[in-house]
Amino acid sequence: MTKVVRTRVEFEGSVSEELALVQGEDAEPWAQGEELVIVGHPQRRVEGIAKVTGRARYTHDLRLPGMLHARMLRSPYPRARVRRVDPSKALALPGVRSVLHRFNAPKAAFRGEETIFREEVRFVGDEVAAVCADSEAIAEEALALISVDYEVLPHVVDLEEAIDEASPRIDEHGNVHDADRHERGDVRKAFKEADAVVEATYRTATQMHNSFETHGAVAVWDGDMLTVHESTQHIFGVRRGLQAALRIPYGRIRVVCDHMGGGFGSKGGVGKYSIVAALFARELGTPVRCVLDRHEENLAAGNRSATLQKVRIAAKGGRINAIAHDSWSNAGQGRWIADPTGPTKSLYDVPNVLTRSYRVLANTGSLAAFRAPGYVEGTFALECAIDELADRIGIDPLALRRLHAASDRDPISGLRYSLKRLVDCYDIGAQEIGWSRRRPKGLRASAPGLRRGLGMASQIWSGGGTPPAYATVHLNPDGTAVVRIGTQDIGTGTRTIVAQICAEALGIAMADVRVEIGDTDSPYAPISAGSLTVASIGPAIRLAAMDARDQLLDVAAGILEVSKAELRVEGGAVVSRGARTPIAKVFEELQNYTVIGKGARLPNSEELVLKTFGAHFAEVEVDPRTGEVVVDRVVAVHDVGRIVNPLTARSQVEGGVIQALGFALSEERVVDRPTGRVMTPGFESYKVPTVKDVPKIVVRFVDAPDTCANNTGTKGLGEPPIIPTAAAVANAVANALGIRVRTLPLTPQRVLDAVEAAPAAKGGEADRRGDRRS
Amino acid sequence: MPRATPVLGPAAVDVTLDVNGHARAIHIRPQRTLLDALREDLGLMGAKKVCDEGTCGACTVLVDGRPVYACMTLAVATAGRAVETVEGLAHDGGLHPVQEAFIAHDAFQCGFCTPGQIMSVVALLRARPDVTADDVKRAVTGNLCRCGAYPNIVAAALAAAKRKK
Amino acid sequence: MKPFAYVRAGSVAEAARLLGKGSAALAGGTDLIGLMKGGLAAPARLVDLTGIDGLRGWTRERGAGLRIGALTPLVELEESEGLARHLPIVREALADAATLQLRVMGTLGGNLLQRNRCWYFRDQAVPCWLKGGTRCFAVDGENAHHAIVGTDGGCNRVSPSDLAPALIAHDARVSLASARAARTIPLAELFTDPALHRREEHTIRPGEIVTQVVIPDSALQRRGTYVKAMDRKAWSFALVSVAAAARVRDGKLRDTRIVLGGVAPVPWRVEAAEREVDGQPYSDAVAARAADVLLADAHPLKDNGYKIPLAKELVRRALARLAAA
Repeated sequence: MTKVVRTRVEFEGSVSEELALVQGEDAEPWAQGEELVIVGHPQRRVEGIAKVTGRARYTHDLRLPGMLHARMLRSPYPRARVRRVDPSKALALPGVRSVLHRFNAPKAAFRGEETIFREEVRFVGDEVAAVCADSEAIAEEALALISVDYEVLPHVVDLEEAIDEASPRIDEHGNVHDADRHERGDVRKAFKEADAVVEATYRTATQMHNSFETHGAVAVWDGDMLTVHESTQHIFGVRRGLQAALRIPYGRIRVVCDHMGGGFGSKGGVGKYSIVAALFARELGTPVRCVLDRHEENLAAGNRSATLQKVRIAAKGGRINAIAHDSWSNAGQGRWIADPTGPTKSLYDVPNVLTRSYRVLANTGSLAAFRAPGYVEGTFALECAIDELADRIGIDPLALRRLHAASDRDPISGLRYSLKRLVDCYDIGAQEIGWSRRRPKGLRASAPGLRRGLGMASQIWSGGGTPPAYATVHLNPDGTAVVRIGTQDIGTGTRTIVAQICAEALGIAMADVRVEIGDTDSPYAPISAGSLTVASIGPAIRLAAMDARDQLLDVAAGILEVSKAELRVEGGAVVSRGARTPIAKVFEELQNYTVIGKGARLPNSEELVLKTFGAHFAEVEVDPRTGEVVVDRVVAVHDVGRIVNPLTARSQVEGGVIQALGFALSEERVVDRPTGRVMTPGFESYKVPTVKDVPKIVVRFVDAPDTCANNTGTKGLGEPPIIPTAAAVANAVANALGIRVRTLPLTPQRVLDAVEAAPAAKGGEADRRGDRRS
Repeated sequence: MPRATPVLGPAAVDVTLDVNGHARAIHIRPQRTLLDALREDLGLMGAKKVCDEGTCGACTVLVDGRPVYACMTLAVATAGRAVETVEGLAHDGGLHPVQEAFIAHDAFQCGFCTPGQIMSVVALLRARPDVTADDVKRAVTGNLCRCGAYPNIVAAALAAAKRKK
Repeated sequence: MKPFAYVRAGSVAEAARLLGKGSAALAGGTDLIGLMKGGLAAPARLVDLTGIDGLRGWTRERGAGLRIGALTPLVELEESEGLARHLPIVREALADAATLQLRVMGTLGGNLLQRNRCWYFRDQAVPCWLKGGTRCFAVDGENAHHAIVGTDGGCNRVSPSDLAPALIAHDARVSLASARAARTIPLAELFTDPALHRREEHTIRPGEIVTQVVIPDSALQRRGTYVKAMDRKAWSFALVSVAAAARVRDGKLRDTRIVLGGVAPVPWRVEAAEREVDGQPYSDAVAARAADVLLADAHPLKDNGYKIPLAKELVRRALARLAAA
């Protein structure tokens, strides 16, 4: 029976009320301490061999007979009106098949607009036209032959310039838009009555995803049936986007994503490249591939917004009594922002809070969700401000946090958390890093002239998962199974987790489970984002496998002539009173019988708030004479429910920490203001961490199943580890230097500039030493 | 005095590459990079095109045993030299020890940089089986990994080295 | 990349003959192929030098100095134990140069002839002065990585090579050959004097190739060291680098050379700075005086002022290391 209910859904920091279907009965959750044989044990990735042999096929690798190649012509101006497009020279080039632009392209709805080629192009890299040719090289050559008449318009690319009233107004409603506001308690009164107030401005740079596989798609029509292969985190989202753009029914669209070279949030739906590939493929009657190159990826495929954040924080009686947090995010041409004030609203139990968040438009590429969007930026500002306040009132910053971290209720809704073990994270992390060594003026450094410090920060994030998600499990008569679910593995290890949960719940070996994902012809599963994959699909897979097991037991009871209640499935066999009958044997006389198990994710409890928590601790050494920051060690502790695969979970945390270190220390999109051009479109100038930038990373989990969350006790882990690292590092740098650098990334330039501006920090070596040992 | 070599191109020319021990004849223009020749002409999709400008290492292959960026190497210039790609590592269904170690140590997530990482490590361990973590880091500094599998890559390389000894 | 013809030269003479107008010499290709892909170079013919015998490897003969063939891959220079004994600075300078793959591909000659990494220069669509335009976009633009000294009001690029400062600190000379003639010049003169305001970075002439670098015997007496600051722990061009070399006795430096990378359009050397050091017992104050002289004419732009304290610190560090060794 199916029932419609309203349910609260949280995705990337925003909560919405949605309809959900309740189908079937849920299973009892796997309890704490319940003996599981596959889940909770380290398992190698099921696609490991494919990936180490080069056999894994990614969208980039697809080559189909007759396939043509599309490339985009992109605006060289940050803002201009496209008055005329003349493709005749390009069309005359041998091997060029077609050119699409705003005057000949069919209407195709895309992100609230009617066309993919706008009259007004709004950033360097905005799509102006597309060429389809026999090869990428010919298409590339043809781009230069398209003549476009641009009327160049005034532009602004920098966040703070865009806020400035004197700058060009690039949107009819202005450049600055209200995005979010939250108020609780009486902030004015609290600041008036405060014992101490810290007020500071923090800035974070634009971070670019740089997934190794750039965005891209291959479109194939077979009659009126469209198949799109796309490197995506959400095959069903791509299907929805194609349906809207091309106005064809779901039943005629299939989206496939086999292996996928990273997304980090940026591949949440259809792209202009997918629509262009589909349009050309329909027009030309042959498969078309459209894949971005690295520079295009860094112009037009999304980014983490740069932010300007002003935080005022007040203490009274040795506690945090009020926080006011105003934040401006450079959305580029985006229609939303990832709100940086989320952590300020929800992380700590503080009575008086006022947050205001603004979306700022600029002539740069749109933001896209980037691994804990908003929370990474906001946590940096919030957690630095808390450290500054702790310094001001002379209390250990971890001790100050502890006063506000123990509450078991969500301060926004007043509802209880399903589980919150943040204080445990503090205990484990403080022990592991040796927090008791921390002194207000830093630790003893490894060599004269260097400075060493400790810092920490907390994280809160959603990750409770959500319906809808469905799975089927086909049990073959030989005891092997195929689990089918429309999720995708973006590199996190989803395939392996699907196999683990299915094998565990069915009672067969992982090696006997084949995982079929990444195809919209499978049952629906949500976007692989928001740390919601495992907690969304896990319960559905478990139910599907349990359904299959139940049917198997029905069959076995009949065949073995034993009452079903006495039977269980274990290690690929039906077991009763010590007798083991292999599944294949059960089905021996029913050769072609297929057991089909179904499972659907049920809604979350209405009474509980599901969150993940964690804390990172960093130990750094800074050279105030060169501005170099060396992160020695990061201890990452997370409370994310049951860990399904300890092997890949650790990798996930290490990866998050490393990406966050890039954000903290070296990654920064640079845009030239006069020309609007991105100066850092490649890996030479846009500095992602190398192997040598990686510190020792200690990963710990509060491995406690959240049995109130769902039947697997799991929560998400994709995003939590990227959230608190930059703040922990910045706090450690401040502890080391005695100077606060409030702008990320902490490049040698910024550190040196800060040291030069605070000469006291350079000298005073001798008198500081005494403090450090005290 | 050696005889002058003929000028090749700019039109397409016949070139024979030695890839994974096999002579492979292709017909390409001189501007074809080794990476494009492998992927487009020979269908070897292991080496990936990620930056196409010699900055990331995802296209790393071995030429005469040394790791190079295939995207910055002209295919015509590798004629007569031994090219090795990830596809050439596994023999008789058995994985190369470095491949096995990458799986055991979870040295990849999305896997897109993995063929390049593996080729860099294979070249290192062939030259000197006795390696330290610093040697591994030197070998893979030019192989970026956006998922951040670095700690496991270093661990995998050291484990493979230990096994080879 | 635009189509081109490819030819493998068998000898220096043949290469020189093949290098006509519109041709470019190809060695490791790590810079040239990038320039071609980026639309910054479009030679009609590439002359591959890597098949030429005799330009690979190094020799040391008393009286003839240390000779290094221009086609020697960087990795061979880095890994050679023998070379490390004669000229340890080379291994030091290469340790943090680019990546292993680029050092496998790249050659000595190519490293010295690599073009600068200014992001305005590297962006084909920006008509900067060096590419024939009218102005330097870095002046009013994003200039954290640009030159602080020696620009003579012109191009604000910085010299990117790690090897060039190291070799100049050992009085390297470079030999060039063309179809008509051969010449040997101080390596420092391979880099176009910015004061001439010519839109080129090197003084190599059309049809010439670099054949070798020679370190004179006298300079091999010096001890050398190389320090480099980067904005990531590896795989970065220098924010600032310092090559220093001197004969060291009793804590005193003599015959000192100090050459900076990353601060000026060319490897930056000011002889008067070296005289501040020569014959003095080393102290941080002596190093500071030398650094002050080196940077006396520094005029930082909006965002690159940090390079001054950074350069001063690296000069101190390099000289202190020499004195301590």
